[in-house]
Amino acid sequence: MRNLLNFIIRYGTWFLFAFYVLLSFVLLFSHNSYHHSVYLSSANAVSSAVNSTSSEITGYFHLRSINESLQASNAMLENEVLNLRHQIAEYQTILSDTVKNKNYEERFKYISATVINNSVRHPRNYFSINKGEADGVRRGMGVVDQNGIVGIVNVTGRHTSRIISLLNETQHFSVKIKGTQFIGSLAWKGGDPWIAYVEEVPRHAKFCAGDTIVTSGYSTTFPSEIPVGIIMNRVKGSDDNFFELKVRLTSDFRALSTVRVIMDEYKAELDSLQNYDFKPDK
Amino acid sequence: MNKEIIKFALLFIVMLLAQVLICNHIAIFNVAVPIIFIYFIIRLPISLGNGILFTLAFIMGLSVDIFADTLGVNALACTLLAAMKRPIYYAYVPKDDKTKYLTPSISSLGVGVYCKYLVTSVGLYCLMVFTIEYFNFANVKEIIILAASSCLLTFIMLLAIDSLIIRKS
Repeated sequence: MRNLLNFIIRYGTWFLFAFYVLLSFVLLFSHNSYHHSVYLSSANAVSSAVNSTSSEITGYFHLRSINESLQASNAMLENEVLNLRHQIAEYQTILSDTVKNKNYEERFKYISATVINNSVRHPRNYFSINKGEADGVRRGMGVVDQNGIVGIVNVTGRHTSRIISLLNETQHFSVKIKGTQFIGSLAWKGGDPWIAYVEEVPRHAKFCAGDTIVTSGYSTTFPSEIPVGIIMNRVKGSDDNFFELKVRLTSDFRALSTVRVIMDEYKAELDSLQNYDFKPDK
Repeated sequence: MNKEIIKFALLFIVMLLAQVLICNHIAIFNVAVPIIFIYFIIRLPISLGNGILFTLAFIMGLSVDIFADTLGVNALACTLLAAMKRPIYYAYVPKDDKTKYLTPSISSLGVGVYCKYLVTSVGLYCLMVFTIEYFNFANVKEIIILAASSCLLTFIMLLAIDSLIIRKS
């Protein structure tokens, strides 16, 4: 017993070393788990305070390019509003008795937030925003910027949240080729923050370079038809039964600044439907 | 002694903030990343006990990880670097009573020996950190490019920081 104690005392620091190494491995391999503690993410109070202070300063750096893309998206939306107004007016004159101006319940709501910390150079990237549970942000909500989708909420603090960036090898998104029903799975494979791949596109899918990839809307995370990227070309995938497409992303992840978190009012209802056990009447 | 503690506490905070606020956002040609916070581990006195050395290194790595959301990557690499600190040091410095109580720096070791000690530590760290992060031997070429370019950039920046600190003191 004394020998054992002596041994432990003598090599105590190396036990400590082994403990730290083990602890690091535990942390390292828990990156996939959804149940990250807030304290161990950049959404904790100290690091979000530091990051917000620095983003107050660096936030001005990309304003010009952000302004330009906002202007572009604003012009497009204005066009669309005019178009739709025109269409509604037309329908009302033609079929005033059948088309009612029904006020559709809004399904999606947006929470606007500012990115306070961002990275693009790791294989698994995350960024944090300055809105948290107190503002209605919950885990699993989708996040978009003015150009397209950017990520999914992963950890929420009281006033900050951490988002899994689209630039994260472990995260896949359900997408489709715009104007068709051919769906695939969007994955980023490291390296260039502009390039991602759409996997599992059926072989009979028709497309050409320059077609837009949009969200499929098959989840409660993102509404359908949000732009994701532009098809560059077809590449040889790992599975011969499917196509794989190389895509240039529409969002500039190096200059993320203002994003919107998407709240789906139907989420609870849809989730409960999926868990619903059908019991036929006897 | 107290003065030393305050000096290193200050170095810890300054290096941590410089890393997470500035250097983490730099990636020259999308490959070279300055990893300057290991300067804190490199500069710790050789006479420091292993227990304190490992603990400080682990805390430093974990702090950087928490800010950068790379949980475990830097914590593991820092702990390993701390364990290698003494072997690297004695690879270039003769083992005797005089060298046992030195704090590694240009003035105590001389430019040549210090540069060798610095470049070995930085090189090993870069190799470890990118291997841990990519953790896939299919990426060997990528890891080597990242590690080599980051090592060069970090080495230059650390020499610059050294010259700043030494001029002041």
